[in-house]
Amino acid sequence: MTVVGARHELFYDTETALRMVDGEVRAMTGEGRGGGVTRSGAQQTSLAALPCILERANDEIQAVLGSLRDSRAALEALEAATVEKLQHTSEQLREVTSATEVAATDILDALDRAGNTVDALEAADHAGDKARAQDLRDMLRDEIFGMTGALQFQDITTQQLNYAASVLTDMEGRLLMIAKLFDPAASVVRAALDGPDPRTFDPGATGRDAARRQTAADEVFLAAR
Amino acid sequence: MKFLVVDDSATMRRIVVNSLQRIGFTDTVEAGDGREALDRFDASVSFVITDWNMPNMTGTELAKALRGRGEQVPILMVTARSVREDIIEAMEAGVNNYVVKPFTPQILKEKIDALVAAAAGVGG
Repeated sequence: MTVVGARHELFYDTETALRMVDGEVRAMTGEGRGGGVTRSGAQQTSLAALPCILERANDEIQAVLGSLRDSRAALEALEAATVEKLQHTSEQLREVTSATEVAATDILDALDRAGNTVDALEAADHAGDKARAQDLRDMLRDEIFGMTGALQFQDITTQQLNYAASVLTDMEGRLLMIAKLFDPAASVVRAALDGPDPRTFDPGATGRDAARRQTAADEVFLAAR
Repeated sequence: MKFLVVDDSATMRRIVVNSLQRIGFTDTVEAGDGREALDRFDASVSFVITDWNMPNMTGTELAKALRGRGEQVPILMVTARSVREDIIEAMEAGVNNYVVKPFTPQILKEKIDALVAAAAGVGG
């Protein structure tokens, strides 16, 4: 059931309760039948039942108002939590995009340099310059090894994507809760997959400013000694 | 020296192992989470390098478990976490030093050399 549909149902229930009271009052006063100055026995019975009718109507309306208050509170809480989490998730996903691009660029640049180094190595070997050839082989190993280091982005982006998945799962749960406020009997299909294990990711995971973060970590350990 | 490398990411374990080989340490054993690391830990392990965020048992839980057993092995945490409170928590769990991801082989070597020297009672 949509939120709009549920709201219409609430209004319908409220209107039904009010119409019930109105109908009973009209029956007691004889409206539409030429006035009611002289009360019949049936009208006196109806008057006696009026407090019960009003009480029932009041209970009905209070229940409706309670549901409206609960749903409004839930929606406000959802909005507050959602905005912040979705903003952070959006930032994390943007970083995933940029991190993968940076890693790909770094690897491509390293491959270019490695290719140039191989050319230079061939020239050094051809010229019989063993010292130069050894230096170039060391440079080539450094370039190749540097490429594996660039792949660290995969671990960080995995954590960022897991965080995004956890936010979506959380939002789904909150929306289901609100839907059930309007219709507790409704059966709502929930996604088959659960969110990721929260122990497996850091919500603040980032690959940015590694040198600054390392310095900050070193300061903590130095201060403790 | 035998290194126990603990990370739920196979890619990261490989990067750490390659980095260790690059700086001359070739004797390594791997684990995918803290619980597996505890099972694989024995007297032959002389150094633990662990991630923080892992299923079943995190890196800080692993450190606490090892210290709880009385193990004095150097523990180096390699993690993306870098909030001050996290670093303090790791230290209090028994971690001896900290490397922030993404790391360079030079940083890893620096930290390992410092812990090895400290364990040998030289400087540090």
